[in-house]
Amino acid sequence: MAQPSTQRLMSLYEDMLRVRFFEEKIDRELFPAGLIRGLTHLYIGQEATGVGVIRALEPQDYVLSTHRGHGHCLLRGSDPVRIYAEILGRRDGLCRGKGGSMHLCDMETNFVGCNPVVGANIPIGAGLAFACKYLNNGRLTAVFFGDGALNTGAFHESANLASLWKLPVFMVCENNRYAISVSVERASAVIDLADRAAAYGMWHETVDGMRVWDVWEAASRAAEVCRSHQQPVLLVCNTYRFVGHYTKDTLRYRPPEEARDEFREHDPIHLAERQLADDCAVDMRQLVDLRDRVKREIDQAAEAAKRIAPPPAQWALEDVYVEQG
Amino acid sequence: MSNRGERAQPGDAQPEPAGPRVREVAYALAVRTALREEMLRDERVFLMGEDIAVYGGVYGATRGLLREFGEKRVRDTPISEAAIAGMAVGAAIGGLRPVAEIMYCDFLSIALDAIANQAAKLGYMSAGQLAVPLVIRTSAGGHGYAAQHSQSLETWVAHIPGLKVVTPGTCADARGLLKSAIRDPNPVVVIEHKALYQTTGPMPAEETLEPIGVAQVVREGGDVTLVSWSAMAGVCLEAAQELAGEGIEAEVIDLRTLLPADFETVITSVRKTGRLVVAHEAVTYCGFGAEVVAQLTERAWGDLKAPPVRVGSRFAPIPLAEPLETYVLAGKAQVIEAVRRCARG
Repeated sequence: MAQPSTQRLMSLYEDMLRVRFFEEKIDRELFPAGLIRGLTHLYIGQEATGVGVIRALEPQDYVLSTHRGHGHCLLRGSDPVRIYAEILGRRDGLCRGKGGSMHLCDMETNFVGCNPVVGANIPIGAGLAFACKYLNNGRLTAVFFGDGALNTGAFHESANLASLWKLPVFMVCENNRYAISVSVERASAVIDLADRAAAYGMWHETVDGMRVWDVWEAASRAAEVCRSHQQPVLLVCNTYRFVGHYTKDTLRYRPPEEARDEFREHDPIHLAERQLADDCAVDMRQLVDLRDRVKREIDQAAEAAKRIAPPPAQWALEDVYVEQG
Repeated sequence: MSNRGERAQPGDAQPEPAGPRVREVAYALAVRTALREEMLRDERVFLMGEDIAVYGGVYGATRGLLREFGEKRVRDTPISEAAIAGMAVGAAIGGLRPVAEIMYCDFLSIALDAIANQAAKLGYMSAGQLAVPLVIRTSAGGHGYAAQHSQSLETWVAHIPGLKVVTPGTCADARGLLKSAIRDPNPVVVIEHKALYQTTGPMPAEETLEPIGVAQVVREGGDVTLVSWSAMAGVCLEAAQELAGEGIEAEVIDLRTLLPADFETVITSVRKTGRLVVAHEAVTYCGFGAEVVAQLTERAWGDLKAPPVRVGSRFAPIPLAEPLETYVLAGKAQVIEAVRRCARG
């Protein structure tokens, strides 16, 4: 494995901080204050996978995400004020308050969107990849999904077709070990999830999804194969969510010490800090300053979003249909 | 690209010779004509589905198109309805104009997430950032195929905001509505009728677009308004001709589009006749006829001289044996009986 470049690792670390602080703000403040309607799924613990993969993509590439997609959206470059505004259901939200946490979309960054029907984004991603190949525009389509989605028919149908038609779709399985409450061991007959790709003759790789540099390297290889050979790839990132499936999760299905131990041993942010200090000789004070700056940015974004008004009721009937142009 | 495995067959799509203004063609050829014209007009239009390329479609509606347009644009898929519909959604977002075939509307069940949760809602949920200009072609109707290949499930999709639903019952509409569907910037479900594919009817010689959302008065009459769509519209026309012999003049309206439906044309007619019969092949219970009746009673109650009457199939799965299927499916006899009852009421 190549020695990490200090500059790039710092940048990946900063991205992870941004996502972590963004989610902690929701977990500790916005949700408990009753400002968020419905369901909210946090990405805390999984930052290295999103950062490593999305930083291996080009701006013109499409990204499709899941119900747990705040981080992916932020990493594609959306304004955090507009993401918060959408999650809070405000008028300047990315989707004018229509979608909320589970339906973020920002086509200015080619973030096609979150999709909370598990597995549904996989054929859509394959279809986008089909369009890219048809139009010969050189774009990749990256589709994020969890271990749970690997058990849907939509995954299997799409994997077969993407491989058969050689579509440039980059499938990213964020294996956080639980589909809501059901563990991979209790849901999948095959524990090595990349075997699912082997069944369809797809290029595949498995990576420690808690180590951002490793994810970035693996994702760069996968993207290269996908783009230059015009074929689907599956990257399985083994990760873990330190928090519940959603903000009201009772976590009855896993022992309380499991998350504590995982956090102590495999927190991706802590692992990156150690790597920066040990391998790149970065001064800890520099990291502390960076944390403070990013945290301040996120706090300001959340405060700005809170000041935005809700949408007027009559917007509810707009955008049901596209007018014939 | 090569087009292995396909041989030219009689009836393959060919450049149309100059001819009379209206030609008699098979409904399947009308569908094929629309697909071919739109593929010639717009490079972004492509077809995907089961058995549509080499085989030319189980009803011949895509025959000859692989040879003319090649494998890039006419694509046989594996038996993967969820992926067919889901990929069509993605391809539409990515700038193409997919026409995906779900062979029987009974199989919409397998593709319905992509259609009802994704295609119908992504434009809305993204506040107009995404558009899904997608066509799902499928077939409905009883024709001797028993319970899982015979249903008329138009209400499944007509209930979903964000979709459009058209049900062509004539050759002219099979072509003209499909062409409009392909050009529409929204997802459109085109429900053809399998008993019609090999029947013939008039189709304009010139390229003609039929507007989505506009009903057609196919027979004028002053006594009863008879509303229908798909193959049942033709049955209603035959029934109206028989009823004329006993002195009842039915005004027959082919609704043609169920979403958005043209209730104005129906209301205008009921203001004249004061009586309404709605006939469809789907089961009566929760059929789209209920919506037509509700709209009319809400909006034109004062013009009704008699209670509206619905005609639909009996409340059972559709069986195979001919006497059983005939007993379950609504047909001309039920329409005639209903119109008589309404006219007397």
